[in-house]
Amino acid sequence: MSKGIVRHDFEPKIMGFVCKWCTYSGADLAGTSRMDYSPHVRMVRLPCSGRIDPQFVIKAFEQGADGVIISGCHPGDCHYNEGNYYARRRNLAFRNLMEFNGIDIKRLEFSWISAAEAIKFTQIIDKFTNQVRDLGPNEGYRALLDPYASRLVKSSEESAA
Amino acid sequence: MIEQIREKARELLESGELDVVIGYAEGSDPTRTTPIFCRKPEDTDKLVLDGRCVNTLPAYLNKRHEYPKKGWKKTGIIGKGCDIRAITQLIAENQLKRDEVYIFGAECEGVVAHPEKWDGSLHEGNCASKCSACDVKIPLDTDFYPGEKPEVDRSGPYMVSAPALATLVKMDDEDRFAFWRDDFDRCFKCYACREVCPHCSCNICITDRTMPSWVDQAAHTKGVFGWHLTRAMHLVGRCTGCGECTRACPVNIQVDLFNQKMKEVIQESFDYKSGYSMEVKPPLITYNTDDQETYIR
Ligand code: SF4
Ligand code: SF4
Ligand code: SF4
Repeated sequence: MSKGIVRHDFEPKIMGFVCKWCTYSGADLAGTSRMDYSPHVRMVRLPCSGRIDPQFVIKAFEQGADGVIISGCHPGDCHYNEGNYYARRRNLAFRNLMEFNGIDIKRLEFSWISAAEAIKFTQIIDKFTNQVRDLGPNEGYRALLDPYASRLVKSSEESAA
Repeated sequence: MIEQIREKARELLESGELDVVIGYAEGSDPTRTTPIFCRKPEDTDKLVLDGRCVNTLPAYLNKRHEYPKKGWKKTGIIGKGCDIRAITQLIAENQLKRDEVYIFGAECEGVVAHPEKWDGSLHEGNCASKCSACDVKIPLDTDFYPGEKPEVDRSGPYMVSAPALATLVKMDDEDRFAFWRDDFDRCFKCYACREVCPHCSCNICITDRTMPSWVDQAAHTKGVFGWHLTRAMHLVGRCTGCGECTRACPVNIQVDLFNQKMKEVIQESFDYKSGYSMEVKPPLITYNTDDQETYIR
């Protein structure tokens, strides 16, 4: 069932912040079932989608992520009853804020994936990876990464060139 | 108007019902007023109230300040309509109890956008943009109001007042990012925008915390982006639109554009207007099971 290897010019860096009760278990299931999916997501396990502070996302972009995916339990399934309801409101606001700041909102994904939805998990990861790959590197933020680079005194070879 | 307020303030200070009255007095030059804490009845003679009174005094009522901890039982405060909205929001957020304050209100004609634009009177050229869309010129909740307080219909939606917002939302993402990058390049993280805000309630702001350091402390563009996103996020559904952050910014960054945009989003998504009710919970600390989730896969 191998997908074959396709080489791309650009491989995105993607951060995943996921709830341990649903999405992380879903990812586990995908792994133990030996399903194929894109290897670009670095996942961080958190107790609940309600624990995922928008600050994490800002930090991820600052540290050079090209895309961020947040995922948790379906509404009504939260292990703590209501954490994902708060997350839903908060992320609605946060997405609007990011958009207003000029970040392409396609770089930010939010999904509900339950512990049994290993297939949905692989599909979402694959789809999001392709989406971010098409968008290319997050140039806007990458240019901010080394803020003093443009102000450095050039070496003699560089200025001669 | 101010005479009646002075008189009432003096009376309440004399009787000991109020420990202090926070208001405005003449400032260091004729274009400015300064906040004043009247502790003695005779201090009330210094009180003024006109178009130069830009400061949002309820910032002093926020628990992060020393003043609420001084043991004053009851604080009097003179407020414009938008200030009183901030007080209402502080009460909704448990920063304050209603019986801890005594609110002097008066009809407001608007304030100047910045003291340096004051030329003796208030007119279209120097009036703050928030005043054009204001529905609390007659304040909402007051203990003392000179004369009869007419009923006003405030059921309308929140109105965005900054003209720059309309052009910004029409831009595409890259241009908007470039706009903020150029603007934020000037920010040197003086945090005036935080200090003046009545709703920045943290004793230690997240940007001052270094273990762990969530917001890059350096005032380069990366750190500034982090700071403004963080600040705007923390004020979602809480900002009452006083515009002080923009006024206080020494390098003319329109900080409150973020807040205005978010006010609009919150109004559309959750039908919530901050500062109009002491009972309704701010939108991000509550939820409905059928909230909108069109963005979720
Ligand atoms: S964010 Fe700005 S406009 Fe909003 S309440 Fe604070 S100081 Fe006022
Ligand atoms: S920016 Fe956020 S952390 Fe800092 S004082 Fe304001 S609300 Fe608190
Ligand atoms: S007041 Fe202006 S310069 Fe100071 S931190 Fe805020 S945006 Fe930056």
